[in-house]
Amino acid sequence: MRRDPLQIPTVVLLVLAMAAWWHGADFYVHEVLLSEIALFAMLAMSLDLLVGYAGMVSLGHAAFLGIGAYVTAGLTVFLGWPVALAMPASALVAGLAALVVGSFVVRLGGVFFIMITLAIGQMVYAYFLKAREFGADDGMSGIPRLDLSFLGLDTADPAVFSAVLLLAALAVYLLLRVVVRSPYGATLVAIHQNEGRVRALGCPVHRYKLGAYVLAAAIAGLAGSLTTQHSSFVSPDLAFWTVSGEVLIMVILGGGGSIVGAAIGACAFLVLKHWLSAGESWEALGLPTFMADHWQLVMGSLFVLVVLVAADGIYGRARRLLRRDGPQAG
Amino acid sequence: MLLDPQFLVIQVLNGLQLSALLFLLAVGLSVVFGLMNFINLAHGTLYMLGAYFAVAVAGAFDSFWAALVLAPLGVAVVGAVAHVTLFRRLQSAGPMKQVLVTFGLIFVGFDVVRIVWGRLPHTVPTPETLAGSVQILGETYPTYRLFIIGVGLAVLVALHLGLDRTRLGAVVRAGVDDRTMVAALGINVELVFFAVFCLGCWLAGLAGVVAAPVFSVFPGMDMSVLILALIVVVLGGPGSLWGAALGALVIGMADTFGQVMFPAFASVTIYALMAAILLFKPGGLVPVRPSH
Repeated sequence: MRRDPLQIPTVVLLVLAMAAWWHGADFYVHEVLLSEIALFAMLAMSLDLLVGYAGMVSLGHAAFLGIGAYVTAGLTVFLGWPVALAMPASALVAGLAALVVGSFVVRLGGVFFIMITLAIGQMVYAYFLKAREFGADDGMSGIPRLDLSFLGLDTADPAVFSAVLLLAALAVYLLLRVVVRSPYGATLVAIHQNEGRVRALGCPVHRYKLGAYVLAAAIAGLAGSLTTQHSSFVSPDLAFWTVSGEVLIMVILGGGGSIVGAAIGACAFLVLKHWLSAGESWEALGLPTFMADHWQLVMGSLFVLVVLVAADGIYGRARRLLRRDGPQAG
Repeated sequence: MLLDPQFLVIQVLNGLQLSALLFLLAVGLSVVFGLMNFINLAHGTLYMLGAYFAVAVAGAFDSFWAALVLAPLGVAVVGAVAHVTLFRRLQSAGPMKQVLVTFGLIFVGFDVVRIVWGRLPHTVPTPETLAGSVQILGETYPTYRLFIIGVGLAVLVALHLGLDRTRLGAVVRAGVDDRTMVAALGINVELVFFAVFCLGCWLAGLAGVVAAPVFSVFPGMDMSVLILALIVVVLGGPGSLWGAALGALVIGMADTFGQVMFPAFASVTIYALMAAILLFKPGGLVPVRPSH
C-alpha cells in the first residue's frame, strides 16, 4: 500500500475550512458556492476512483449525473415519490445503467475507452434533449428538496441544504476511502499498473473494473439527484460532455489517485471560476473588469498549464514536497 | 414522403453537403489520429477559427475568394504554432493529457473569438457567382451548396492522388502502418507528422470558410461539429482517407434524414452507431492496420 501521511491532516483541514466557511457565509455563498463545491466534489471523487485508481479515463461521467437527476425529477414530479426514496433510486438506476454499459466498455483501454465513454455520454444527452416526456430541451422544474422536517430542519434554507450537501460529500469521501484502502482498491491500482500481470495471476480484471465503474456511476447518480434538488430544475445540459471534461479537469487539478485531491480540485476550480467571473476581482488586480466576462480564457490556459507542468495536481505536488527529505518518490 | 423524388433529391443534396463539410473536418483529425495516436479535441476550434478568419478577410477585401485562399492558411499557421509550442510535447504523453490540454484550448479559443469578434453571430456573404440557384427536378437549389459538395469531392480526389502517387503520401501510408519501421528507415517521421498536422488544420480551416456563408458564425459553433467529426473518424477508421469519406457520407446522410424523419432518435442512433463500431470493429469500417 502507498503510504500517505498527508491524507488525514488534509481531510481534517478541509473539513474545518469548509465548516468555518459555511459558518460565516452569506446567502449567496451557501446557495451557490458551497453547494456547487459539495456537488462537484462528489462527482470528482467518484471519477477519481476510475481515473486515479483503476486508470479508466472516462469522458462521459456526466451521463450518470444526468440519469440520476432525471430519475429523481421523474419520480418526484410525475409519480409523487418522496425525495428520500427517489435518492437511492437515482443511485440505483445510474448504477444499473453503468452495469449494462460497463459490461461492454471496460474491455476497452486507453484512447478507445475515452472515445466510447464520450459517445455513450452524448447518447444520454441526445436522448434527454429530445425526450418530450421529460420536457426535451426545456428540462423540468419543480423538483422538491429532501424533507428533513422530522429533525426540525428546513431544507429550503440554503444554509441547511448546503450543510446537507457538504455532509453528503463527506460521506462519499469516507465510503471511497474505505473502498480504495481495501484489498479491492489495491487490486484496482495493480490493474492500472499492469493489467496483463494481474490477469495472469487469475484475477477477473474486467469484473473488478466493472465494479469501480458501477460504484462511481452510482455516486454520480446520487450527486445528480442532489443537484436537481438543489436547483429544483433539471435540463439535458447536465449530461453534456463538457461537464464530464470539467470534472476530469477538477480531478487532475487537485491530483488524481488520492480521493481527497479530487475534492480539493473541485474546490479550487469552482472558487477560481467564481472569482474570475466577478468584475471586482479584476478591478482589485488593476485590470479591466470586462475580463470577468472572459474567465474561460484564463481557466482554459490554466488547464493547459496544469496538465503540462504540474500533472500531479495540487495535492500530489504537496505530497511530493513533503516527501523531499525521505526516499525519492518513484 | 420518402417516395417523393423532389423531397428525396433535395435531402440527398443536403446530406451530401453536410457529408462534404464533415469530410473536410474529419480527414485531418483521422490521419493525425491514425499516424500519431493524437486526439485533438480543439480540431473543431480550428474550424471555428476558419469561419472567423473568413469573416475578417471577406470584410477587409470584400471578396469571398480572398477568404477562401487566406483564411485556411491562417488556420494552418495557428495549428503549426500550437503544434510547435504544445502538441509536440504531448505526443508521447498518454491520451488523457492530450484530451485535457486540447479541451482547455477549446475554452481558450471560445473566448478569444468572443474578445476579437464579439458574442453576436456574424455572416459571410455568399460569393456573387454562386449566389444563384439551379433547378433540380423542378425544385430550386442554391448553387453555393452544390459548390460545397464540389469542394469536398475535389479535396477527396486531391488527397487520394497525393497519398497514392507522391513520395510524401507513401511515407504517410507507411507511417500509419508502422511508425517505428519508417523511422528506422531514416525518414524524419516527426517532420512528416508536422506537415500532415498542418494540412489537417488547413482543411479544418477550409471547412470553416466554406461553411461560413451557409451557417452563421458564432462562438461555440465548434462544439456540435467536433463530436460529429469524432464520430466520423471512429466510424471510418482512424488513419484512413476513404474511411473518413465513407464515415462522413454515412453520418451526413444519417443526420440529415434522421432529423427530417425521426427527430427524436436521430442523434441517439448516431452515437449508438459510434459505440457499436468502437466495441465490435475498433478499426472502423475501413481499417488501416490489420486487426489483431
